Amino acid sequence: MDIQSKSVTLENVSKVFKDPQSGRDVVAVDGADFTIAPGELVTLLGPSGCGKTTTLRMIAGFELPTTGRIRIDTEDITLLPPNKRDTAMVFQSYGLFPHMNVFDNVAYGLRLRKVPQKELSERVMRYLGMVGLGDLAKRPPSRLSGGQQQRVALARSLIVEPSVLLLDEPLSNLDALLREQMRVEIRRIQKSLGITAAYVTHDRVEAMSLSDRIIVMNGGKIVQIGTPHQVYRDPADAFVAGFIGKVAFFPAAVIGIDEACTVEVRGKTFALPRFSERLRGAERALVMCRPESLTLLPPGEGILDGRVTTNVYLGHSIESFVSTDMGEILVQVDNPDARRVFGEGEAVSISFIPELTKALPEAEA
Amino acid sequence: MLLFAAILFWINSSLTDSFQSLADGRQRKTAVAAMGSAPSGDDAIEAWLKRISSQNDEFDLIFLRGFPEDEGGMRAFAGTPELEELLGSYEGTRSFAKGLESSMYDEVFQPSDRLTVRGETRRVLFAPAHDGETGDIVGTALFLISSSDFDSFLTLMRGLFILALVIFTAVFAVATYSRDPVTGFIILGLFTIVAIFVAYPLFEAVRLTFVQEGRFSLEIWRSILSQKQYLNALQGSIELGVYTATASTAVGFLFAFVISRTGIRGKRFLSAIATLPVISPPFSLTLSIILLFGNNGLITRQLLQLEGFSIYGLGGLTVVQTMGMFPIAYLTMIGVLEGIDSTLEDAAMNLRATRWETFRTVTLPLSVPGLLSSWLLVFTNSLADFANPLILAGNFRVLSVESYMEVTGMNRLGHGAALSLLLLMPTLSAFLVQRYWVSRRSFVTVTGKPSARLTDLVSPGLKRVLLAAMFVIIAFLLSLYGTIIAGCFVKNWGIDYSFSLSNIREAFERGWRVLLDTLTLAGMATPIAGFLAMIAALVLTRKNFPGKRLLDMLILTPFALPGTLVGISYILAFNKAPLILVGTGAIIVINYVIRELPVGVEAGIVSLRQIDPSIEEAAADLGADVPTIFRTIVLPLVRPAFISSLSYTFVRSMTAVSAVIFLISAKWYHLTVQIYNFSECLRFGLASVLATTLIVIVLLTFGLLHVLVRKNENLAKTVSN
Ligand SMILES: Nc1ncnc2c1ncn2[C@@H]1O[C@H](COP(=O)(O)OP(=O)(O)O)[C@@H](O)[C@H]1O
Ligand SMILES: [Mg+2]
Repeated sequence: MDIQSKSVTLENVSKVFKDPQSGRDVVAVDGADFTIAPGELVTLLGPSGCGKTTTLRMIAGFELPTTGRIRIDTEDITLLPPNKRDTAMVFQSYGLFPHMNVFDNVAYGLRLRKVPQKELSERVMRYLGMVGLGDLAKRPPSRLSGGQQQRVALARSLIVEPSVLLLDEPLSNLDALLREQMRVEIRRIQKSLGITAAYVTHDRVEAMSLSDRIIVMNGGKIVQIGTPHQVYRDPADAFVAGFIGKVAFFPAAVIGIDEACTVEVRGKTFALPRFSERLRGAERALVMCRPESLTLLPPGEGILDGRVTTNVYLGHSIESFVSTDMGEILVQVDNPDARRVFGEGEAVSISFIPELTKALPEAEA
Repeated sequence: MLLFAAILFWINSSLTDSFQSLADGRQRKTAVAAMGSAPSGDDAIEAWLKRISSQNDEFDLIFLRGFPEDEGGMRAFAGTPELEELLGSYEGTRSFAKGLESSMYDEVFQPSDRLTVRGETRRVLFAPAHDGETGDIVGTALFLISSSDFDSFLTLMRGLFILALVIFTAVFAVATYSRDPVTGFIILGLFTIVAIFVAYPLFEAVRLTFVQEGRFSLEIWRSILSQKQYLNALQGSIELGVYTATASTAVGFLFAFVISRTGIRGKRFLSAIATLPVISPPFSLTLSIILLFGNNGLITRQLLQLEGFSIYGLGGLTVVQTMGMFPIAYLTMIGVLEGIDSTLEDAAMNLRATRWETFRTVTLPLSVPGLLSSWLLVFTNSLADFANPLILAGNFRVLSVESYMEVTGMNRLGHGAALSLLLLMPTLSAFLVQRYWVSRRSFVTVTGKPSARLTDLVSPGLKRVLLAAMFVIIAFLLSLYGTIIAGCFVKNWGIDYSFSLSNIREAFERGWRVLLDTLTLAGMATPIAGFLAMIAALVLTRKNFPGKRLLDMLILTPFALPGTLVGISYILAFNKAPLILVGTGAIIVINYVIRELPVGVEAGIVSLRQIDPSIEEAAADLGADVPTIFRTIVLPLVRPAFISSLSYTFVRSMTAVSAVIFLISAKWYHLTVQIYNFSECLRFGLASVLATTLIVIVLLTFGLLHVLVRKNENLAKTVSN
């Protein structure tokens, strides 16, 4: 369809709020600097309160950046009011117009653009069809399920063919099953329209499965930008590693860094091919291990002894929960039929595959 | 910006110039005309000077015959010693010399000098004087022209100039620096409105009480706080307030308690009766009280033949005010009582408390904050009440009427303003107590689910007593309304009770135009107030801007102001330049709008708070500008609040008295004042007809409101999805 995808660029954008109670300054977004390429879906991921919504609202024009510039393509839109921007937002609470039926909700943007009646109904029905609501056009929003309301909100935003689609936790009010289904659908529609999209979520699974790239935020700052694979496998720091997926950290001493980072963990030496550049000159490090980078060995053969408490059989793999003196650690045993499986209650020793880990600096205080 | 300032300055100075030349032109003409035929003989000149100075008081004239260079020299005819002295001191100046020179060349000369004659500043003008026959220049006329007009014009111009500059600066700043100029202009507009129509009149009222003969003085306040007459009025107001508040709270509590805590039937009917007086127009209850108990009343005179009984005074007022104001207490108390979870009472009884103990230890303590706030509410209302005491006070004095008398009877606006400001003190303190003390002590437990009552809180015997008391009150109330209606159809109340339609005919003959006036003005104020209220509510809930709290406060202020104060401050502020509105319909409409705005704004705010802001943001995001959002999203969503505030404004404007009585004119009159006039001339029949008309209008309006809002109930439920 005829959407002109455009890029979105934030140049060193910050937002400082005055806290209404205490009157103190709250830095909601601190120096955000990134570009979303045309047709790309980028997720803003981070814990609650880290400034994701604020970032999105600045792109939409609801908040004015305290510093920095925002561009769509090359046009500077920093000071443009929301109604003059070529963005469309899907709100967390949907923001459907309760006094209009589904059709009128979706038609709202077109009516503002003075689209002739015939083309208008044709387009509304096409977009309602796209989100699978063709037969509910006359319903008021109050008589729709959460998922249907979500679709109306999506259709209402898409129909104006914005150059940027903004979604603020659009699925957070849906139950798990519906969430997964809508996730797939949003991605399908976004791809088929080739529309540039910024998607806010605090759900890492959502982020991983949707995005071309993920922007991980923490405390108002962007900590990493990368493809899902990059942030998972090659996280910038311990926070990203922990936020993006299950992880175990082994404290280690740095012995030397050349091509690889040589560390000593609990008396054993490993050469880790992936490591953070910030480790140069450091003495201590953390070895980040995903469940699938860990292996189970007979007691005494690995680096950390423990006992299997629970095994969860998933078919293609088994998740073994091992209790150790570093706490409970999750080990994913892939391809269980081809290797030795330790039963519940058995003593084991945990080790890791150096190629699948990464050496990270210890978290700063 | 500089350009703007330059243009403005240019406009200002050129305007001033053109006025000046206009004035000059006029005076030159006068001057030249006068000098066209100057007499020559000394006596003739003296006589001529006298004639001229007696003919006008715009200027004084000194005639200078001949010129210093002439052979015979120059001779001055000043007329009065004062002018002679003035001339003596002015003669040596350069302007004087220049004036003579111009005159010699047959030119008019006007220096910028100002001289003082009889304590008044004068401008100076030199004009050549011609011989009537030959046309030769025979001398110079020195005019000393009154400049007060001119100077006040200059002051006004300067004021307007500064005002225009401020407005231009603000508009310019908003247009340039605001990302959302429409909202900026709306906020600017709201500030302008409240500044001109709330802050300025109040300021004028306060200022006037501190001014006497143009200078700062505490004289007015000293006399207000020391003269017996005024102190009596203050005491009277408070006394009446205390009685009415106590009685109304008792009656209101009785109704609320019986309706919420006993299992009787017909609760809806009882509740409707208990709220009826809220919407009854002013004077209606007073009228029927007079018809029943007045000096020629049906009961006091015709039935009981009482001598020496007078309904006028504190007693009658307390009764009338209680009947009119107990609904306020009822509405407050029913809210509180229904908010108390009745399982608390059940629990107490379960613990073997008797009914009385339960009431005393649970119900009553929980209702104390509610009782207090309804007492204060009624107290405030009683103090501000103007209509009832105006007719029924007799020799008893209250502040509201006293301040009206000062203004209209004695033409002492300063005293009137001070008295109504005095009225503000108890009102304000009641308001503050309510706001900061009662509301904090309220421990209402709202559970949201009305539990079915199993046990009555009162014994059957007591219940019968309470019901009897209620029915007495209801019967009394209904008979009051019945009396007004009966009053319409009785030929001559107190004398001839035969059926007649003559009152109705005459009332409409004499009151028709007033009715139309009233409907027109209220009809104009209603949509303005309604839209303004919703716009203000939107801005106050959804936008952040400097001065928001100030704007909020100024918009809500008129709610706390007694009507008499508003009325007095309006005539003070708007009977002089730059805004002369007294006597126009506009001032009445503005007064309605400003006074009813607070309620509409509050309703709008409450209703907007329930609407998810992202609904409006979604509209903006899809390309709607502020006016479009207002029209297509906000207004439909706050429709119930909007319609209620419309009908509220309409009804309140139709039934206004206290402020509007100061603002009416021969051209724009008000129905309530007409009712008052009729009752003043003891034409109670005519007054009854008009009062009944008002009741019908009010009922119709609320009926319409009911229908319109009903349709919206579904919507209201889904708004906060
Ligand atoms: N309008 C506001 N006024 C004051 N503080 C705000 C406002 N909006 C957001 N904040 C603060 O900014 C921070 C970031 O908020 P937000 O962007 O909503 O986080 P997220 O969407 O990531 O949960 C929070 O600390 C929040 O309290
Ligand atoms: Mg958020």
